[in-house]
Amino acid sequence: MSAPMIELSGVSKSFGSLQVLRDIDLSVDKSEVVCLIGPSGSGKSTLLRCVNFLESYDAGEIRIEGRLIGYEDRPGAPRRLMRGRELRELRCEIGMVFQHFNLWPHMSALQNVTEPLRRVRRLSAPEAAERAMQVLTRVGLAEKAASYPGHLSGGQQQRVAIARALAMQPRLMLFDEPTSALDPELVGEVLEVMRGLASEGMTMLIVTHEMGFAAKVADRIAFLDGGRIVEQGPPRQVFHESNEPRVRQFLQTYHDRNSF
Amino acid sequence: MSFEVLWRYAPALLSGFGITILCWGAGAAIGIAAGFGIALLQRLNFAPLGWLLRVYIEIIRGTPFLVQLFLLYSGGPFIGLRLEATTAGILGLGLYSSAYFAEAFRAGFSAVPRGQTEAAQCIGMNSFDILWRISLPAMLVATLPAIVNLLIILSKETVILSIITVPELMYQMQTMAAETFTAFDAIFAMAVFYWLLVETVSRLGYRLERRVTAYMAPATGAA
Repeated sequence: MSAPMIELSGVSKSFGSLQVLRDIDLSVDKSEVVCLIGPSGSGKSTLLRCVNFLESYDAGEIRIEGRLIGYEDRPGAPRRLMRGRELRELRCEIGMVFQHFNLWPHMSALQNVTEPLRRVRRLSAPEAAERAMQVLTRVGLAEKAASYPGHLSGGQQQRVAIARALAMQPRLMLFDEPTSALDPELVGEVLEVMRGLASEGMTMLIVTHEMGFAAKVADRIAFLDGGRIVEQGPPRQVFHESNEPRVRQFLQTYHDRNSF
Repeated sequence: MSFEVLWRYAPALLSGFGITILCWGAGAAIGIAAGFGIALLQRLNFAPLGWLLRVYIEIIRGTPFLVQLFLLYSGGPFIGLRLEATTAGILGLGLYSSAYFAEAFRAGFSAVPRGQTEAAQCIGMNSFDILWRISLPAMLVATLPAIVNLLIILSKETVILSIITVPELMYQMQTMAAETFTAFDAIFAMAVFYWLLVETVSRLGYRLERRVTAYMAPATGAA
């Protein structure tokens, strides 16, 4: 049996005296879609950012298809940061989409997508442009290729950001509240693209507040609170059958806010 | 106001203006290059070097340009640095402005939103490409108004070079004023020359600023 796509075991992390992740165990198999939900400050985003080592972790292990990320894999020895080159090799297989898109404002949509293809994948300019146009077409933005991010709507910017990550042909994708910064009427177009990715078998780990989306698309939901995974399971179980008071209270608050 | 005197001294005044522009341009080029180098070295996070550069910046910013220029020109020979007046003037302006440019660039680098470099990091770009392709363009756009501002201030600091006998505009004006007793005309003519220079620089600056920010911050449209 092959290693899971993502495997966290006993991961802990503190910012100073504040412990944000406590002994997290979580694994995501190939083609699985896992949504992380929970109140703000529960550690969801930090957990996600540890997976591609944008944040370091203090204890435990995070493995991507069996390869330890962030540290040299030497059991028993004191931890040493992994070499920059190896970290970059691992990272370019992990696509990431941010809450605030983080497009490069001085580059057009097309250049945002071709830049990493040129610098990291070392594609020639025509090859990079061709692949970039393919992914931009796929997210429905071929005609916006020449536009700069400042001239695109939030939803369009986020789709360019997804295209930028997809063009690298990553083995898995991380989404950090991809729709939280969007106007309500723009959320749908981004979720639509994500739903398409899920149906094509992309492995996805998603931090989200879109409970409807999580319920429909996720194979598994993990609920975090206070840096711990309080409950995890299929959406039906977490959303409807949970006996965990914190989960029920969180969902109740969510429902109250969304019914008027 | 004696136009006859001004006309007689026109060649000297124009040559002085030329020297002013040369010293200003060359001094600013040195200052920008050195300031950029300092800002880059400060980003290495190597404490002793960072501390040294900090001391350099504080000393340059904390002392008058006049004093620095005297030390360079008159004190230089004591350590074997014998410079011609104009060379000393250019180098002096370069060293003086490097501290200010370094600070502008440092602030510019820290104004680049962290998300932009994170996006580059997590897609696997190396530090050099991130600096060159992502941080640098964003930093330059952010610092452009400050750089134009510094260039304007620096253009007027060139008058101090007259004190070490650089034959720039101020020097020529003083000569004219002393020889013809026309202090007011001299000062007035000088103001016109400087105003022309500053106006040109600031107009170019605005135009450049509009160009680089045109696509980054649309006047209308969705965020």
